Amino acid sequence: MAEAEAEAEAPKPRPRPIVRLGIFLIAHSLLLSVVCCTAGILTLLLLPVLAKNTYISENALMPGSANSMLPGQEVSEANRLVKDLTSLDLKPVGGGIESQRLIAEYMSDLGAEVSYHRFYPQSNQFHPLHFLSYPESGTIRENVSCSLHGLNTVGIIRAPRGDGKEAIVLVTPYNSGKIGPGEALSLGIAYSVFSLLSRVTWLAKDIIWLAADSKYGEYAAVDAWLSDYHMPVFNGLGALNAEMCHGSNILNELKDDSFTERKICDGFRRAGTMAAALVIKVADRSEQFENSLSIYAEASNGQMPNLDLINIVNFLAVHRQGLQTKVEKMWSLLNCKWLKILGEILESLGHVARSLNPQWKFGIPAADYAEGIATLASSLYYQALGVPTGPHGAFRDYQVDAITLEISSGVFSNDKVKQNDFLLRGGRLIEGVIRSVNNLLEKFHQSFFLYLLTSPSKFVSVGVYMIAFALLVAPLPMVAASLYIDAHKLDPSYENDKSTPPASAAEKFGITFRSCKWLNAAKKVFVVHLWGAVVSLLPYFVCQIPSCTPTISFVVWVSLSILSLLILYLILGFPFSYVNASSQSQNRDWALLKSVTISAAFIGLCLMSVINFSTAEIGALLLVPMCLMAQPLKLDVKARILRNFSRVACNLALGFIGFPPAAFFVLKGVFEGFGGISVGYFWNWLETIWAWNSATYLYIGMVHLPCWVLCIHVLFHPC
Amino acid sequence: MEAKEQSRKKKKQPWFWHWVIASAIFRLILIFFPKNLNLASRPEVSTPLTSLRRLAEGYWLKQSSMSPYAGSMYHGSPLLLSLLGPLTVQRIEGLPDHLLCSLVFVIADIINAMLIRASGQKLQMTYSQSLKLLGLFKLPEKSEIIPSGDIAALVYLWNPFTIVACVGLSTSPVENLAIILCLFGACKGLAPLAAFGWVMATHLSLYPVILIIPVILLLGYGPDTPPRKLFMQQRYIEVGDNPSEDREDSMDRPEVLHVFSWRPIIHFLFWTSLWSIYVLVLCGVSVKQYGGLWELFKRTYGFMLTVQDLSPNIGVLWYFFAEVFDFFRNFFLIVFHGNILFMILPLAIRLKHRPYFLAFVYIAISSMLKSYPSVGDSALYLGLLGLFVNELADMQFSFFLFCGYIGVSLLSPVMHNLWIWRGTGNANFYFATAMAYACLQIILVVESVSAMLNHDRKLRKLSLPELQAGKT
Repeated sequence: MAEAEAEAEAPKPRPRPIVRLGIFLIAHSLLLSVVCCTAGILTLLLLPVLAKNTYISENALMPGSANSMLPGQEVSEANRLVKDLTSLDLKPVGGGIESQRLIAEYMSDLGAEVSYHRFYPQSNQFHPLHFLSYPESGTIRENVSCSLHGLNTVGIIRAPRGDGKEAIVLVTPYNSGKIGPGEALSLGIAYSVFSLLSRVTWLAKDIIWLAADSKYGEYAAVDAWLSDYHMPVFNGLGALNAEMCHGSNILNELKDDSFTERKICDGFRRAGTMAAALVIKVADRSEQFENSLSIYAEASNGQMPNLDLINIVNFLAVHRQGLQTKVEKMWSLLNCKWLKILGEILESLGHVARSLNPQWKFGIPAADYAEGIATLASSLYYQALGVPTGPHGAFRDYQVDAITLEISSGVFSNDKVKQNDFLLRGGRLIEGVIRSVNNLLEKFHQSFFLYLLTSPSKFVSVGVYMIAFALLVAPLPMVAASLYIDAHKLDPSYENDKSTPPASAAEKFGITFRSCKWLNAAKKVFVVHLWGAVVSLLPYFVCQIPSCTPTISFVVWVSLSILSLLILYLILGFPFSYVNASSQSQNRDWALLKSVTISAAFIGLCLMSVINFSTAEIGALLLVPMCLMAQPLKLDVKARILRNFSRVACNLALGFIGFPPAAFFVLKGVFEGFGGISVGYFWNWLETIWAWNSATYLYIGMVHLPCWVLCIHVLFHPC
Repeated sequence: MEAKEQSRKKKKQPWFWHWVIASAIFRLILIFFPKNLNLASRPEVSTPLTSLRRLAEGYWLKQSSMSPYAGSMYHGSPLLLSLLGPLTVQRIEGLPDHLLCSLVFVIADIINAMLIRASGQKLQMTYSQSLKLLGLFKLPEKSEIIPSGDIAALVYLWNPFTIVACVGLSTSPVENLAIILCLFGACKGLAPLAAFGWVMATHLSLYPVILIIPVILLLGYGPDTPPRKLFMQQRYIEVGDNPSEDREDSMDRPEVLHVFSWRPIIHFLFWTSLWSIYVLVLCGVSVKQYGGLWELFKRTYGFMLTVQDLSPNIGVLWYFFAEVFDFFRNFFLIVFHGNILFMILPLAIRLKHRPYFLAFVYIAISSMLKSYPSVGDSALYLGLLGLFVNELADMQFSFFLFCGYIGVSLLSPVMHNLWIWRGTGNANFYFATAMAYACLQIILVVESVSAMLNHDRKLRKLSLPELQAGKT
């Protein structure tokens, strides 16, 4: 808008104020871009200070308003289950279905509807447009092999006070082949809650307990169950698969069993729509964090569950059960020197502010600040990756809010009392959460969906973190506009036109196309983005090559990309199109190219900030300085002043860090040390991203990489 | 696609045909992957009026001897139903559904492009002719006049909006065909064709009814020229001058060009009434047992004018009428539709010397304010915009508009996804893009009109000194 306003006719005596404002902003675009970028980075660093305490926004939830009802009797029953499961593990006979049978037995003893769900794990496929479509469109099942299958056990309690239209899901993933102590304990917790809920009178939503067989990954099992839950198969492909695989009659075998035949339902059992889902896990590794609870919430493409769900869990865990809640953080950041210094500066600033006016409370202790930054960084990283951090991610695809609760147990292999206490606490926590969600009248909608966590009880909402991003990208349209105007001022024919009005009519007529000069630059940008699309599709073909190490795949990919770039160059021939033109037009050429590149980067970043904010934020940190700084090296080298040489160095450094693999290796090196880095890592990382249909992959391929190529093109522009 | 425009303009005829064939092949390739793109279910592409799925439903109802308008599924014309309906049920084994319909749409798109090209050539001829008359006859040799017809045809064919509307199984290529046919007939002075196009376009989508003014002007005055005042001034100067013998023949030509002739208008009106009666009779026959013509009007035009379907689309009316109180509804319906009508007369007075451009402005305005807009409508006016590259070369904001259209068309599906499928956004997210889109269209209309008026001013400035110089 501003760009074109300034483009307006110059000789007008007094343009409107808004036009004058636009002209003013564009005239000072250099200063403005420096100020805005710095402010953007500073705001990002200030986010832990600006974070608000979480609060429970939905009044209907009323967490902790009722006393826990979970008695010791259930816990001893749960203990029996745990013991049975672990003893099952000791004798390896039974063909892998013993554990399912055992769990089903326990479930049906409680009076629940029990059914088995058989699924076939499938390899992740490349659906580049998946994030824009709904779940139904992408799940055509292919190539299932009958020998590989998992068996989930599902128990459903019908609510005495409900109408069967809503449900709450409990998920306990466990490996049916070899049940670890942690998995057995998580099953125990779920069992204790389940047995309590089968007797209570206040239940208004059905309870589904999914004991997910994680032989082929936790996510796959939950995802397969969810897709079958939401998409009933009548006589299509699914039935075909079932017929195809009737050789292994495990279901029949299970049903023939004299003991279970009375209660096991055949067919798929459903309850209502899911209000929330809780994935329960027990970590048995860390001794130092006894009685702590880790919350994992990130689903695919940086989607988060409603903040209220996290709030309830956090509230109940801290205030009722005395557990210490944690979210992921980047441990390597905690020891950073500069972070500590920055934290101390902020702390002292807070003290100063408080001494001036006791009402101002913005300082936080330096240690808290460092922790906040570390949590924020990991929150940003996991959202940006776009890969779910646990089986809860599968629920988000169906708009169900879900989180994973990982309770740390410590080690108490023989201590019965401690184990009982642990089961009681875990069970009471889950019971409280379910009771709270049970009160819910609508689906979660009251609190935030778009937020970043800086600690389990502090969050930054979308309104605050968007400021950092907006400040960072604000200079892009300004600089694009000012470059665009400059390029037109440099136009020799335009100058002629102004200085010598009585030129011949024909000459005047010839200049009519000066406002369409950008079309040529737009063509280049379009071609490079087309190349970006080709590069993002190439791994699909590279993966088809059998028996390839990651390094070789990466090399093949890079060489194919360069080849395709060369082919596009040759077909459309753009680097040579302006060789014969005058130096003036060359000068204009790079400025216009840079202007269009910056506009493309702006559109791409804004689009990405809507799809996945964290990707856009990290991308903007890398891309914006590079785009703004880019200037032909030849011009700077010619000038031979220190300032110009520093700009050359800056440009080269930014150009290096802007290249996606380089950025990946540098960041990995900084956070995890440079030892043992190989090219294959990047390929593996990329493979995970595209296997999970992350939009980040598309961003890297179709926004970041093309903009980087164009910036390099500007850097080495012959002018 | 506009980026390619520049490179194309120098290329001669074979290149044009290569691009046309390439566009047809590109469409055919996309047609064979309907599942992956899922364009037919996008609200930007198929509206309640243009969706082929609804048409198939209407055809099915009709086959089972029910009213095709039962159940508020189909709201289009009964003629379209009998033309396209049989094609929707034809399935070829191993090929995507609705293949025949898709082929019809591809053919319609190609015909559209050809008609745009033909009318562009006619417009260009008039343009260079009038430049000659103004004494700027040296210009066409020195600085080339871009073949605007070719550019407009290629912009139409390669515009992503057109491709998406064509591949996404919406009937808008056929509706566009009727509008373009009408404008082409008027441009060439073929009154029967223009009348047929106008009647069909009005019958299919109602809003082209306002095109009657540019069509009458086109038939009366002929295609676009610089303002008549310029020719008068020129003649005045020339008459004051000593008339030499070679000027003699060029003297009377302006007079011939710029007299409003009533004969084609009478022809047009006659043919219009004939075609209207014909269409009404056909419609009456096909809906006789389902409630007659009144039911037809209520279910098609009534549905358009009262905005009954409030499902989201790229327009602004659905949101507004979802919010408005019921007792204000009628008032705002009148206000919104009056908006289009208010602008007709002032624009017609100001742009009466450029009727084809006037038609473009009308189409752009109605596609912004109509009740169920789709990208197919934008495709039409963006294609017609290409016809005026010579006149609009100095348009401001061109780069901004280009970026804006790209940004909005990418943002709109993302916002829709955020609202409908992820559940983290809400209706305001999607409506924001609809508003941004409406603003872009307003800027496009305002800037193109002002660029056109500036162009006329510039011609006057250029022609007057030229004549003065010629006199001395």
